[in-house]
Amino acid sequence: MVNAPTVLVIGGGSTGCGIARDLAMRGFDITLVEKGNLTNGTTGRMHGLLHSGGRYAVADQASAKECIAENRILRDIASHCVEMTGGLFVQRPEDSGEYFRNKLQGCRECDIPTTVLSAAETRAKEPALAEDVERSIAVPDGAIDPFRLCVANALSAQRHGARIETHAEVTDVLVEDDTVVGCNVRHHTGPGKRTHRAPGTTEEIRADYVVNATGAWAGQIGELAGVDIEVRPSKGAMVIMNVRQVDTVINRCRPKGDADIIVPHETTAILGTTDKEVDDPEGYPEEQWEVDLMIDELSELIPVLRESRSIRSFWGVRPLYEPPGTGTADPTDITRDFFLLDHEERDGLAGMTSIVGGKFTTYRLMAERISNHVCEQFGSKADCRTAEEPLPGSEDFEVLRDHMEAFGLRSPIGRRSTQRLGSRAEEVLTTDGPNPVLCECEAVTRAEIQDAIDQSGTDLNAVRIRTRASMGNCQGGLCCHRMANELHPEHEEPTVRTALDELYQERWKGQRHALWGEQLSQAMLNHVLHGTTMNRDHDPARQETLDFDAFDTGIERTRASDGD
Amino acid sequence: MSNDQHTDHDRLSSEQTAEVATAETTVPPSDERTTDLRPGADNCYKCTACDTSCPVAEVDDEFPGPKFQGPEQWRLKRSEDTDIDDSIMSCSNCMRCDSACPSGVPLSQMHNTARGEYVEGMSKLSREYVRNRILANYGRLARLGSRVPRLTNFVMGNRVTKWFNEQLLGITSEREFPAFATQTFREWYDERGGSKIESEDRRIAYFHGDYSNFNTPEVAKALVRVFESFGYEVAVPEQRCSGTPMFANGMLEDARRAAEFNVQTFSKLIDEGYDIVCSCTSCSMALRQEYPELFDFEDTELVATHTYEAIEYLRLHEDLDEAISETELEDEPALAYHAPCHARNQGLHRQALELLDELEGATIEDVGDSCSGISGTYGWKEEKYDYSMEIGEEMFEEMEDAAGTTGLTECPTCAMQMEHGTGYEINHPLELIEKALV
Amino acid sequence: MAISDDVIVIGGGLAGSMSALSAAKAGASVRLISHKESTLRHASGLIDVLGYPTEGDQPVVNPFDALDELPDEHPYTVVGESGIREGLALFDEITGDLYAGTHTDRNALVPTQQGTVKPTARYPRSMAAGIGNDRETLLVGFESLPDFDAPLAADHLEAVNVPFASRGVTVPFPADLRVDAKYTRFATALEREETTAALAETVESHLDGAERVAFPALLGRDNDGSVRSSLESHLGVSVFELPGGPPSLPGLRLVDRLSEALDAAGVHRSTGVPVVGRETAGDRVSSVLVDRGNHTPHPYHASEFVLATGGLVGKGIDSDRNGVHEPIFDCHVPHPKDRYDWFCGDAFGDHPFARFGVVSDGELRPVDAQGTVEHENLRAAGSVLGGANIAAEKSGSGISLATGALAGRLAAEAI
Repeated sequence: MVNAPTVLVIGGGSTGCGIARDLAMRGFDITLVEKGNLTNGTTGRMHGLLHSGGRYAVADQASAKECIAENRILRDIASHCVEMTGGLFVQRPEDSGEYFRNKLQGCRECDIPTTVLSAAETRAKEPALAEDVERSIAVPDGAIDPFRLCVANALSAQRHGARIETHAEVTDVLVEDDTVVGCNVRHHTGPGKRTHRAPGTTEEIRADYVVNATGAWAGQIGELAGVDIEVRPSKGAMVIMNVRQVDTVINRCRPKGDADIIVPHETTAILGTTDKEVDDPEGYPEEQWEVDLMIDELSELIPVLRESRSIRSFWGVRPLYEPPGTGTADPTDITRDFFLLDHEERDGLAGMTSIVGGKFTTYRLMAERISNHVCEQFGSKADCRTAEEPLPGSEDFEVLRDHMEAFGLRSPIGRRSTQRLGSRAEEVLTTDGPNPVLCECEAVTRAEIQDAIDQSGTDLNAVRIRTRASMGNCQGGLCCHRMANELHPEHEEPTVRTALDELYQERWKGQRHALWGEQLSQAMLNHVLHGTTMNRDHDPARQETLDFDAFDTGIERTRASDGD
Repeated sequence: MSNDQHTDHDRLSSEQTAEVATAETTVPPSDERTTDLRPGADNCYKCTACDTSCPVAEVDDEFPGPKFQGPEQWRLKRSEDTDIDDSIMSCSNCMRCDSACPSGVPLSQMHNTARGEYVEGMSKLSREYVRNRILANYGRLARLGSRVPRLTNFVMGNRVTKWFNEQLLGITSEREFPAFATQTFREWYDERGGSKIESEDRRIAYFHGDYSNFNTPEVAKALVRVFESFGYEVAVPEQRCSGTPMFANGMLEDARRAAEFNVQTFSKLIDEGYDIVCSCTSCSMALRQEYPELFDFEDTELVATHTYEAIEYLRLHEDLDEAISETELEDEPALAYHAPCHARNQGLHRQALELLDELEGATIEDVGDSCSGISGTYGWKEEKYDYSMEIGEEMFEEMEDAAGTTGLTECPTCAMQMEHGTGYEINHPLELIEKALV
Repeated sequence: MAISDDVIVIGGGLAGSMSALSAAKAGASVRLISHKESTLRHASGLIDVLGYPTEGDQPVVNPFDALDELPDEHPYTVVGESGIREGLALFDEITGDLYAGTHTDRNALVPTQQGTVKPTARYPRSMAAGIGNDRETLLVGFESLPDFDAPLAADHLEAVNVPFASRGVTVPFPADLRVDAKYTRFATALEREETTAALAETVESHLDGAERVAFPALLGRDNDGSVRSSLESHLGVSVFELPGGPPSLPGLRLVDRLSEALDAAGVHRSTGVPVVGRETAGDRVSSVLVDRGNHTPHPYHASEFVLATGGLVGKGIDSDRNGVHEPIFDCHVPHPKDRYDWFCGDAFGDHPFARFGVVSDGELRPVDAQGTVEHENLRAAGSVLGGANIAAEKSGSGISLATGALAGRLAAEAI
């Protein structure tokens, strides 16, 4: 498109990437800026549930209907990110039978397919469930990898000409004549792919329109633009178990509450969650009681959880929003619906719309709505195609499933690689040189790491979210240095060292919440490996030059100089 | 000296206290669907002790090692993933990974279960399946063969037969089939009129396994005589193969049938006051560890907790060490002792050495920690034969270096390999004990 | 009682082996009970005594000069300099031909696969050519072994300002092995002369004036050093190994050597079986209960016991969400009540968990929270003892040697 309108999307989460993809496909000239790596905010901090809508079927049927519709679309366009595990709403003896019936009725009203399973059928499906569960409702819940989904949206946007800038923080929103005309952006290590230790730069990015898709951070961007956006961030804790105890999403069939869901996620299972309002989406306490609550409560459904290994916990902040004056006291009662805030209509500030609220499962729909809104601003009639056009990796997935052993890999490694890469598997895994597995926990080969490095520079956390490398039970203890090694010689040693340190520290951060039993032993093993064996904790490269001659200089020379 | 360890525990005096930490648990098997061993991966901290202890991985790079085959492969599994990497068939089931893992990963249970799943998906007409089924069910063939032992021995030693076996079945022609005894142990036992001793409080049920029945009855006879010399009544109930070769070949259904029969038979005897005693360390391993890991018949645990290896039993319940130290042997050749891998996991790895060290006139030399390489049926497979010999090389060398030219081991297939690699005659420690005591 | 010895040592790692050897040397009949393979198999094979006594980043030249800086509860403070020297002397006696470093008290700065150097007191002879001289070094890595990136490690050594120039090169492994072959397979493959020769030929073309060549530590499975000498004679320069792991062949080789020494000393060994409990009579332990695989524990008797079951990695110290404990004797393990106080925010911080372990009196007997000896005849050695951050200090092996040798000797003397 000649002279296509330029749109600046702020926020590299699922919504932002979804918007970038949608608008790029409709011919807009898109730049997306994200202050961390993709999924840095809420997207990278959710339990990975692809809602069937069942969870909202009693209290919020509008959301439930959107969920089941989007669920069907995502299965299609993002098949390599989705695992259709199915879900169960499980009733325990102490849970209300009336609520169970309401749930069933609600699902039917929202066109969510259901099957009622007896206790025996329920346990036959998921043997880890407690012996005294009474019955369950099966619904089409699924598991989705938010990282790969988000990255695939960004990749698609790039293929349609979008510019994606990560580690690019908005430092100011430029307003001229009551109109937003762009932003000032600070690139942490310069524009383009990230390179640790490269100097930071600033850039003024001007655009015909700005979309604020920063979720829980929307208020902060609003402040820079001089408008008030009342997001009410609410934190939720999630505990990652080392293995899957179940292969189906298990929901506790009772009215909303804490610790009522377990989602099989890739190789792990994620327990969730809590719902507590916080002031600052980045500064809130991550507390022991939340971890203990997850394990203790969900053990009622899955008793083995009490003895099982957790590898880390994480917290996410929901970007909840309610229109001014609603005044809901309990954050669990705030609507999960999303809102377009056109700042021209709302605040008399033209050129910018914010999107707030909503949930991951409906990210595409949100992107469609705001893209429609942007199109209206420019009189564009372009149709949304994101519901039909598969994401990169999902173009021809079924065919590839049959060929996954063709890359000379052991079958479980080929299988996992293909599950992650989808139709990109062949392009990524076909290599000339040896292709050893670098991350053994998650079965990630050198070729896949190299592919991710091609996309994200020296940012090993960005490599991690693309590949799952270092996300298994050793939490990077055995593989993060292998990942860093792959950056060399393209990147210099000090850069590699910094990138490694950053990944290692990031892995440590979440692992701290799981430090007992097996994971504490793992932490000590990692500590000994990286400390005792590698001496990374006292790396002499960081220090003043050592006086090598003062130390043992070998048998002959020591004898000669000491006379001993 | 207490003759009954259990009451010894019960009698702990008031100033004595005993506290037992919770023993390491394995995942209880479930019949409802394939056992889910993913929780076992929780124990793994990726230290590689299993990989560096694996004798197969050291010689065969097609085998990706126990860590991959065990906790890693299990952890990567989703319920709908049914494919098992074919390299599972390269595991010899020596179970060294079990005794290596500092963190309690149920490695051999994972391997056995995965192998069972893999074999289930194998073509039942494939050469590998047919061959493995034959090797796994050695006992059934032996039952037939031993009816006409001389003829069978002639045929099996025949070059034409061996050529046929290798070409058609993939059984190596490099090895000599073990000869069948002209009288089986059970025939001998019946002929002598069963146990010579009757006792209410000292009674054992002997699990002899197929090999000592058909091929080395002298070992079984030694066991009977040694136990009788300590005043034990020795029962020899009907029994099937322990299942060891079936586990190693993924023939879990065959193993299940054999195990069920054995558990039923032997548990009845336990109720009558018998303990189970084995002369083969792989048999005792099967009854103690593999049965509870893979099956859950009624009384599987009961059988496991009452099963002992023969020498272990006498050391724990009688003062075998004292008895041995009070006697001596004359003109006994020096012996080169090899500890079977399966003895390691049961704490039996060095007991024969320790015991026979006390026996005057006997010279025993340990030939080191290495695996013999045969691992039951592994070394019989044509495509594994070279690996088997490469693994065994260290043991052969140590045997050559040892003073004696007679070998000693508890395991019948280790004995085959020792004989095959060195030409030495191989004895069982029970035979030596019989010589010393009876 | 069928199974009875003077001294029972529980745990077959470095500390347990040293205890058993030391007790046997003092004339006791000793049984070593070990459950699984020891953590030595994945340790570097280096014998550190003390590299960093305090939080400072500069390594100490002489560990013995820095002992005063250690806290009172540190195992080194308990055993003193003489204890450390006793442990080293016993170790040197067993490994004299295999290890170097006895010629000086000073630490050696050993180059690692990471490209750092680390302070250590004893190092395998296979690493000796890498110590302290200014000869130009070529680091050689293999394409299929992703743990070690030779060019990167060489650049890292440059950043460390080592007194020698270094370059790195990555070559194909000289035998046709699958990429996921195990370290032991790579190591045994190199034991074939044709493989070594092929490797030498490849490396020769990269020598370009280098006076020594470093490989990751997989030059042969065994202790004889033949792969290294063969490479040296082909290349005409010295060859050395760089420590790394897991897995660690130098660690495996040390395990082999300790095993030989235990056999030579006549130590009885029960391997593959866990100690799951104990019987006590008054303030003494009368036996430990051993599960021989059929979940029917049997008592093993002795007059003195040494607990050398390791720390959090060796599973001599166990933990759950509510606390930290020592599972066999239930000895007191001090730890903060709140589990969020067990660690620091920084991955390389001075984590309290790194110091978890039992506390002992001056004779290495574990004491309870009040400082009272738990059992008159029970001593502890190695990582089961708390009070030291072995990873940060680089003191793990030294503590095992010192406390192992002393606990074993004291046990034998107490009979």
